Amino acid sequence: MLFKLIYKEILFRKLNFLLTFLAISLAVAFFVSFFTTNEASKRETIRLTRDMGFNLRIIPKETDMNNFWLKGYSEFYMPEEYVNRFWEFKNFSFAHLTATLHKTIIWNGKEVILTGIAPEIEPSGKKKTSMAFMIDTGMVYVGYEVAKLLNLEHGDTIKILDKNFVITKTLSETGSSDDIRIYGTLSEFQDLLLMEGLVNEIMALNCLCLSPDDDNYLKTIREQLTRVLPEAKVIMNTTIANAREKQRHMLEQYFAVITIFVIILIALWIGVLVMINVRERITEIGILNAMGHGWTEIVGLFLGKALLIGVLSAATGFILGTGLALKFGPDIFKITAGTIKPIYELLFWSLLVAPLFSTFLALIPTMIAIFKDPAVTLRKV
Amino acid sequence: MIQLERISKIYGELPKQAIALKNVDLKIGKAEFIVVRGPSGSGKTTLLMSIGGMLQPSSGTVRINDKDIYLLSIVERSRFRALNIGFVFQMFHLIPYLSVLENIILSTRHIKYDDSNKKAYSLIEDLGLSDRINYKPSELSAGECQRVALGRALIHRPKIILADEPTGNLDPENSSIVMKTFSNYHQNGGTVIIVTHGEDADPFADRVIYLKKGEIK
Repeated sequence: MLFKLIYKEILFRKLNFLLTFLAISLAVAFFVSFFTTNEASKRETIRLTRDMGFNLRIIPKETDMNNFWLKGYSEFYMPEEYVNRFWEFKNFSFAHLTATLHKTIIWNGKEVILTGIAPEIEPSGKKKTSMAFMIDTGMVYVGYEVAKLLNLEHGDTIKILDKNFVITKTLSETGSSDDIRIYGTLSEFQDLLLMEGLVNEIMALNCLCLSPDDDNYLKTIREQLTRVLPEAKVIMNTTIANAREKQRHMLEQYFAVITIFVIILIALWIGVLVMINVRERITEIGILNAMGHGWTEIVGLFLGKALLIGVLSAATGFILGTGLALKFGPDIFKITAGTIKPIYELLFWSLLVAPLFSTFLALIPTMIAIFKDPAVTLRKV
Repeated sequence: MIQLERISKIYGELPKQAIALKNVDLKIGKAEFIVVRGPSGSGKTTLLMSIGGMLQPSSGTVRINDKDIYLLSIVERSRFRALNIGFVFQMFHLIPYLSVLENIILSTRHIKYDDSNKKAYSLIEDLGLSDRINYKPSELSAGECQRVALGRALIHRPKIILADEPTGNLDPENSSIVMKTFSNYHQNGGTVIIVTHGEDADPFADRVIYLKKGEIK
């Protein structure tokens, strides 16, 4: 009987039903599409922030950190083969790994930093785009200030410590010590500086396989590294790591703000519709009461409708939200499009939350209407 | 059968209090036909709702068959109303999305009629609505709507019919049909209480009560 009354009332007041249904469906679709694309968004963020640079720097243990920060590199050296030991260390995950040698020299009357870069080592079984410069033998990249002060251009041949190099790139301004660097291959610069087999820094981008949220993250890395490279120490560029996390958190905070806005808007929308519906049916409530239908049945009539709309909207919103995510997600998150897939767990949550939400919103106006004086509602309308 | 003892109903709080009923004492016997007359705002509807268990008086008791209906729980009172009382209103108050048949059988839910549909069909025929059985209220005339409301009030054979201005919106022909229906019901042993400010129900009444400013005159 209850379901029949709900069904007939819905058919009778189609517009009210459709508007309420639409409001909840859109809200569910919004949340479902967000969560469906969220994983792709996270992965995309990691990829994009990767280009901000290496975040782990492994340097000789005896390095004086005061000097390190003043000069920008360690004045001590360690064997290049440390990079292989690091690579072989299975307990630590990384996305990019390279060995570098830095040395300040006076060149053409100017202090410049020679930076030799070894080819990047890829994690086992993974093909990755290089983060570091890939410089060919006999070639160099020249930092912005060096190129500017000495009027150097792409294609120029320069002589560094009696060896000729061709400039294949003059770098754009970075606003850091990188502007006074000359980049070349590690092996050539090792020869040039008479430091064969030595490096003073191994740079890595950890792949966030360990929880970056863990406060003891750096401590964990250091403990692990001590086991494999007892002669080295690790420092973490928390600015880069934090930037990565902040970017993610910003997205989540943005979603939280939008969520509040959406919930308030939908609540107002549904609240007004339910209020209109209850006002239209105030005499119906009175007459059902007069005929002996208990309050529970009358409340059930309104809440049952809200529940039904909630269930239908949840299912529709899930399909719509998933469809939108699958249709437009790959265009937005091009790199990680493959991770956008229907999340069926969201259907469960939609079916749980949407009916509860719509029922809750229907409860207050229904209760107000029920406790109206029947002598007033049934007298003359 | 129906006994009202010092019924008062006060709306609102001081200083904006409105007294709808003031110490009303009334006894209505079984199978009596009572007309309650009075101007608008005299408390007629409040009196009717109080008798029907729909509106608890501020003070006093309403007894039906020696049972104080406001001492019953809400559920018990709903059931009592469903079994014993039928309501008819000036504005009909039919459920707009239900057909004639569905509106009438809506009040049979507490009754174990094996053949409530059969009874409804019979009643619909008696009320001259056979050709309107699947019509919605919006497709009916005012007279037809009131006949549907009568059918809804009568189908479960209540002991008491409470009618609030039942002919207020009807033409003389339909008013006559409605009053005759009440009269038949009364002659078959039912109690009828009609509140109205007109005189068209007076010829059918055993007793006419005048209500003015919440008091019986």
